[in-house]
Amino acid sequence: MALLEVKNLTVEFGSEDRPFRAVDNVSYSVDRGEVLGIVGESGSGKSVSSLAVMGLIDFPGRVTADSLTFDGQDLLTMSPGKRRAITGKDIGMIFQDPMSALNPCFTVEAQIMEALKVHEGGSKKERRERTLDLLNQVGIPDPKSRMTAYPHQLSGGMSQRIVIAMAIACNPRLLIADEPTTALDVTIQAQIIDLLLKLQDDSDMALILITHDLALVSEAADRIQVMYAGQLFESGPADSIFAAPRHPYTQALLEALPERSEGHDRLRTIPGVVPGQYDRPAGCLLAPRCRYANDRCVAERPDVGAYNGRDVRCFYPLDDRGQPTGQTTGETV
Amino acid sequence: MLGFLLRRLGDVIPTFFGVTILVFLMIHLIPSDPIQMRAGERSIDPERYAELQKEYGFDRPLVVQYFDYLGGVLQGDLGESFVTKRPVIEEFATLFPATIELSIAGILFAVIIGLPLGVIAAINRGKWLDHLTMSLSLTGYSMPIFWWALLLIMFFSTTLGWTPVSGRLSIMYYIEPTTGFMLIDTLISDEKGAFISALRHLILPTIALGTIPMAVIARMTRSSMLEVLGEEYIRVARAKGLAPMRVIMVHALRNALIPVITVIGLQVGVLFAGAILTETIFSWPGIGKWIVEALNRRDYPTIQGGILMIAFVVMGVNLLVDLMYGVINPRIRHKR
Ligand SMILES: Nc1ncnc2c1ncn2[C@@H]1O[C@H](COP(=O)(O)OP(=O)(O)OP(=O)(O)O)[C@@H](O)[C@H]1O
Ligand code: SF4
Ligand SMILES: [Mg+2]
Repeated sequence: MALLEVKNLTVEFGSEDRPFRAVDNVSYSVDRGEVLGIVGESGSGKSVSSLAVMGLIDFPGRVTADSLTFDGQDLLTMSPGKRRAITGKDIGMIFQDPMSALNPCFTVEAQIMEALKVHEGGSKKERRERTLDLLNQVGIPDPKSRMTAYPHQLSGGMSQRIVIAMAIACNPRLLIADEPTTALDVTIQAQIIDLLLKLQDDSDMALILITHDLALVSEAADRIQVMYAGQLFESGPADSIFAAPRHPYTQALLEALPERSEGHDRLRTIPGVVPGQYDRPAGCLLAPRCRYANDRCVAERPDVGAYNGRDVRCFYPLDDRGQPTGQTTGETV
Repeated sequence: MLGFLLRRLGDVIPTFFGVTILVFLMIHLIPSDPIQMRAGERSIDPERYAELQKEYGFDRPLVVQYFDYLGGVLQGDLGESFVTKRPVIEEFATLFPATIELSIAGILFAVIIGLPLGVIAAINRGKWLDHLTMSLSLTGYSMPIFWWALLLIMFFSTTLGWTPVSGRLSIMYYIEPTTGFMLIDTLISDEKGAFISALRHLILPTIALGTIPMAVIARMTRSSMLEVLGEEYIRVARAKGLAPMRVIMVHALRNALIPVITVIGLQVGVLFAGAILTETIFSWPGIGKWIVEALNRRDYPTIQGGILMIAFVVMGVNLLVDLMYGVINPRIRHKR
């Protein structure tokens, strides 16, 4: 049994009659000790789907799913109190912007100890010792003196380490890291990713690593899930996705990587942007930007189908040579 | 923290001089001559006039007069009342506790009702509870004090007979002023029932005085809470699995209070302005009523002294608020 099992998760905002699907029937699962990479451009629903797993989507957002289970327990039907006992204990989350993730009015130790107090209790002395351990673990230099620091006294990298310490305080079995390095200096990004992977490895915790950066997940993740405009486009083992993308979007993302752009004059990019609330196409959501799109793509929306051991949402999954299958040439628009 | 304190004190000193200059000039800027005024309908013969000018020191250059006045103020000498011939500072000291008592009651009322209203409105944003609390606070804010006070008196005193109409204490009791605070004095006195009487006298003036600050605090708390509730650290706090109540009361409120405290401090000025009206309507023997009476009698030293003391009190409270601000907002405390 998978640790986290998400089946047809849908998150809608806006009015009931004209809803906006920020997440549209997304399914995935994460096993114990596994690293799942979720990739997609801005606005593809990566954050919203993780927040739904955490139970942090607020009214008027609506979360539905065929099933949403953690360790066999149904997260959707359990009482809010019971769910909170899992959130922050068994599932931790790290957010995009460390500088705004810490409460400016409380010290570092107060914020970490609070998580410990709620889920594990124990004496104040024990909690303080554990906090010191955690700060050591996440590589904070001179942790003793940082304990009583306030957030505004910390750099971005330091803050993110504190946020990580907070998220792993209760030894979660699943950690969701939502673009943990986007807001940080390039030099610090690698350190933070290394730290996360080390923590994951040491404790056999499962990790969902959300990022824009396909190169990053290629090294770190066991499996990859590519999202676009709220939909799952492709998922499968990391190395095989890299060797042979099956979805045109994955292919385009890979081609945009600097290391794959050799021989081209400049970096290849995908023209256009992810459609938002008001400009979602009627057919395949990628159709306006897809180089293989044809009339059918414009008119109809493809479902997710299994293809060569992957889940792919495309009428014409790519073959090993990177060419669409089942399409006659000259058909594209 | 010490540096912060000194910096704040440094800001206060120029304000102090500004206020004394303004109050000093007041008596020289008003169109009527105080000596002529005191003479009233009777005309005054020029010799006597010059004598009085000399007596009050009005014949000296303005600058000299100011420093003389300032010297007096610094030694706690605010002059003598034209009417009672008693030192202004003494009269102030006797009446001030009544005003403080009323003001504290007013601000407590405003905070105790206003803060929860603001929080309730914020967490029910857009729902009927939000609309209800905000319309109530808007009504409270728009109600002129004298009108509101009269409504309260008509309803609670005249119609229902629940509360007395005016004064601080029923004439059945005589309480020797010890602290000047009626609630405390009655509590330590042997007179049974005096405390309850004092409390009943306090209720309506408190509501009349506290309603506007209450409305301001409720609205400010609401908007401040809404802003804070949208912050990422609130989401992080919830991701820790904290109960919603803890997230709101600890993580959100603490941050939302920072601007609210400033507003509460600013309301102290409004409160004194309101106290003048409230005390007059309820015959509350405090400095508000005292200043109004002094105005009617053209008792300039009393007016001057009263305004000056109110200005000092407002400055003192604002200083206190600034310091509190530093205590709850670490970013201010650590700024060099
Ligand atoms: N509370 C909300 N109300 C309405 N729409 C929302 C809300 N939160 C997110 N959305 C919309 O949902 C879509 C998906 O947003 P999401 O934040 O999940 O994207 P993302 O993949 O995390 O992007 P990024 O890489 O920029 O973080 C976006 O179009 C966004 O505007
Ligand atoms: S369905 Fe058509 S438009 Fe969509 S990704 Fe496949 S080829 Fe491109
Ligand atoms: Mg995001």
